[in-house]
Amino acid sequence: MTIGAISVDAVSKRFRLERNRPSSLKEAILRMGRTRDTDEFWVLQDINLDIGAGSFFGLIGHNGSGKSTLLRLMAGIHRPTLGSVEATGRLSALLELGTGFHPDLTGRENVYLNGAMLGIARRQMTASMNDIIEFSGIGDFVDEPVKIYSSGMYVRLGFAVAVNVEPDILLIDEVMAVGDEEFQRRCLKHMDMLRDNGTTIVLVSHNTDLMTECHQVGWLDHGRLLKVGAPDDVVSAYLANVDATDNTLNTRNI
Amino acid sequence: MPSLSPSVRKSITLIYHFAERESKSRYKRSVLGWFWSFLNPLVTVGVYWFVFGAIYGAAPPETSNHNAESFGLYLFTGLIIWTLFTGMVDGSMEWLSSVSDLRKKIYFPTETALLGGAASNLVQSSLEVVVLLVIMAALSNIGWTLVFLPVAMALALGFGLGLGFIVSVLNARYRDVKYLVGIVLNVAFFAVPIVYTPELIKRDDLPVPEIARILVEWNPVSLFIEISRDAVYFLQVPLWNRFLAALAWSVATFSIGWVFFRRQSMSISEEP
Repeated sequence: MTIGAISVDAVSKRFRLERNRPSSLKEAILRMGRTRDTDEFWVLQDINLDIGAGSFFGLIGHNGSGKSTLLRLMAGIHRPTLGSVEATGRLSALLELGTGFHPDLTGRENVYLNGAMLGIARRQMTASMNDIIEFSGIGDFVDEPVKIYSSGMYVRLGFAVAVNVEPDILLIDEVMAVGDEEFQRRCLKHMDMLRDNGTTIVLVSHNTDLMTECHQVGWLDHGRLLKVGAPDDVVSAYLANVDATDNTLNTRNI
Repeated sequence: MPSLSPSVRKSITLIYHFAERESKSRYKRSVLGWFWSFLNPLVTVGVYWFVFGAIYGAAPPETSNHNAESFGLYLFTGLIIWTLFTGMVDGSMEWLSSVSDLRKKIYFPTETALLGGAASNLVQSSLEVVVLLVIMAALSNIGWTLVFLPVAMALALGFGLGLGFIVSVLNARYRDVKYLVGIVLNVAFFAVPIVYTPELIKRDDLPVPEIARILVEWNPVSLFIEISRDAVYFLQVPLWNRFLAALAWSVATFSIGWVFFRRQSMSISEEP
């Protein structure tokens, strides 16, 4: 497979929710033999998706439609229950606040740790350290433990690392909203630059304006991929659906 | 490292990182720093020597050259292996739980956290070995059999880490596993001839059931300790059947633990 390409092949993901799940060995032994009270639900069902190297892909859908889970599968955090996910190349992911940060370590140590997780040697990370600190704009806080950071600082540093490690694939899950306007603009500019350099970008966002800049957009609804195609088509279909739901609600209210 | 695959290289970078972090955090906030790593085992040996050697008058086993016949040194040798072993089992649970939140947000091979911690523990044990060897050299109790000491350490590490792989995953699921392990290790300490000699339990005038004798003599940790004592204290070649049994224990436990961990560790990111 080409470096930077992502292939999602017939993927389904099931989560198990166990009610009254034994949290200690003692409980587990005491409850042995009793049937377990488990709820299963399929977060994703039969997703087929090929994202070519260097493309800018957007994912939309209502809350709980499985967007984040799909990104997590691409990032290798979860394993699909059925099917397979392949993503080749250096993959950098910003999935939620404080992505991959260890609260007790300082910002600088976390940058090294993140680098190590991407397979980048300490030497190389030292070389790009100044860029990262400058981009994040967190200044001297870089030598403080990240647990004292504000949520904005978390995201800034996380984003600074993710985009400065020359990723082949960049996964972003609606995190930029936390930063201020100025930082958001800087992020977008940087993302444009990465896109021009051929980085594959997968972006989850509720910002439909941002979606129109993508090459392709996918619409997830209740764990199913309803539509993949040109941004305008998919976004308008999605918005029409949202409006329809809205109208039903309004009718009910009357 | 051009010949290694990227994923192996990534794992090595991570193992190094976790090892460094573990070593740094161990004595980070203390003025005396690494000095503690020498002081702690020395005090432990001092206390055990005082209680079992001085008060109970346990006699040090005879050696062929009589140069280093001290109950303290006999103890120290066994204690180094014991500390290495328990450090792996206890540490594994801690190492895994310290990265489990991280693992929910970013993918990395989880076993690197345990391997890194193990490497850091091995460095710690090696420092203790240096102290032991300096004393042995001063008493001119040195011989070629010393080559069996790193072997004994490797076997203890493999066995301890193999168990660590298993208990760390269980501990992530059931949070009381670490207390249970703590209790078992406390009992196990006395099932291993550290503060007493294996000859003691073989004496006919003691009311020790046969099963206990077999357990003390053939349990894996006893085997590792006996091999290390042969290497450093008695300066003799370990018995081959003991050696084979130790090797089998270590390889089998490590393999089972590794396979179990690799199978289960993906689900750690889905633990609530």
